[in-house]
Amino acid sequence: MRRLVLLVLFSLCVWSQLNFADSAPIKVERAWVQAVPEVSDTTAAYMKIINLSSNPLKITGASSPAAKSVEPMITTRKTHGGQEIMGMQSVNELVIPAGGSLELKPGGDHLMIMGLNLHPREGQVIKLTIRFAPGDQKFDLEVPVCKEEPK
Amino acid sequence: MSETISDPEPDLKPIVSPGGMNWRLLIAGVALALALLVSFLATRYSAYRNVQENFYGQALVPAKEAFDFRLMDQNGKPFRLSQLRGKAVLFSFGFTHCPNVCPTTLSDLAKVYRALPEQDRQKVQVLFVSVDPRRDQPAVMKNYVPYFDESFIGLTGTEPQIAEAAKAYGAFYEISHNEGEHQDNYSVNHSAFTYLITPNGKWKLIYNFDQLGDAKNMVRDIEQVLAES
Repeated sequence: MRRLVLLVLFSLCVWSQLNFADSAPIKVERAWVQAVPEVSDTTAAYMKIINLSSNPLKITGASSPAAKSVEPMITTRKTHGGQEIMGMQSVNELVIPAGGSLELKPGGDHLMIMGLNLHPREGQVIKLTIRFAPGDQKFDLEVPVCKEEPK
Repeated sequence: MSETISDPEPDLKPIVSPGGMNWRLLIAGVALALALLVSFLATRYSAYRNVQENFYGQALVPAKEAFDFRLMDQNGKPFRLSQLRGKAVLFSFGFTHCPNVCPTTLSDLAKVYRALPEQDRQKVQVLFVSVDPRRDQPAVMKNYVPYFDESFIGLTGTEPQIAEAAKAYGAFYEISHNEGEHQDNYSVNHSAFTYLITPNGKWKLIYNFDQLGDAKNMVRDIEQVLAES
């Protein structure tokens, strides 16, 4: 039984490509949220976003009923005394080129989820709404919570 | 007086004479220097090849004596690196409010740890050292670090203790406030390296953040370090 549950959870993480009510012309692949321990109230969502339109799109923000705020972030890598220092920075927009894609990934651009209220466990899903410009386009999706990056 | 000036001339002759002792000495000296240079380069090259061939991580050649930091473990007890003599230690610096780099580091290390054969897991310890002691009290570390693998140990300490440990391993961190944020709501920029200490207390390898995802090569390094000691 335990094996079966694990298998279901695993396949959920592996196969999820959940597209719901959408208006933004995008396709989302391999979306997942990093499972974090309960003591932590911050995590990040990762995914590949494909822009199906012939115009550039910009992620301008996001929200989730599971958290106080969700922000587009970039990971900064600067050199200090000959070594690489990683940090992050909130940005007003993340651009997805026309017909191209944007990879949100660990150690790179991501959607930072802050102030988790419903603590998501591995195998659960988080509802996420991503907002895009131009205009006020939205994309709703449900993202599975995974302990490690799904292959 | 004049005699003493003219007198040395005959004595100088053998020294400046072209076919004499001096030439042979010079040639021998040059040959010796060349031989030394060649052998030095050969050792360096073989050390370089050795490292290139055998380790996935960046190797310190020669391995350094690992700084024996004094910190506090997740149960609030004093903790020294030397307590783990006999085990290979993998550790990195980070903080629990980190959404991206630190959970990824720990989840990658958990994957590596679980990919090790059972008998080798007993000989490996993963540590996560907080660079944010203000928020990362031992209880917080205890609820955070073992989540990724129950064998992992979270360490924190006083600011000077952490600064000393970070400095010894060349790690860097700085508090970063976003404008308008609450004072408890800050991020910490930090170097994201993972260090490997051998069972006999030598700091031997460094991994950068992007290398940790390759569990297969990480396991190969760890097994080699265990086999060598």
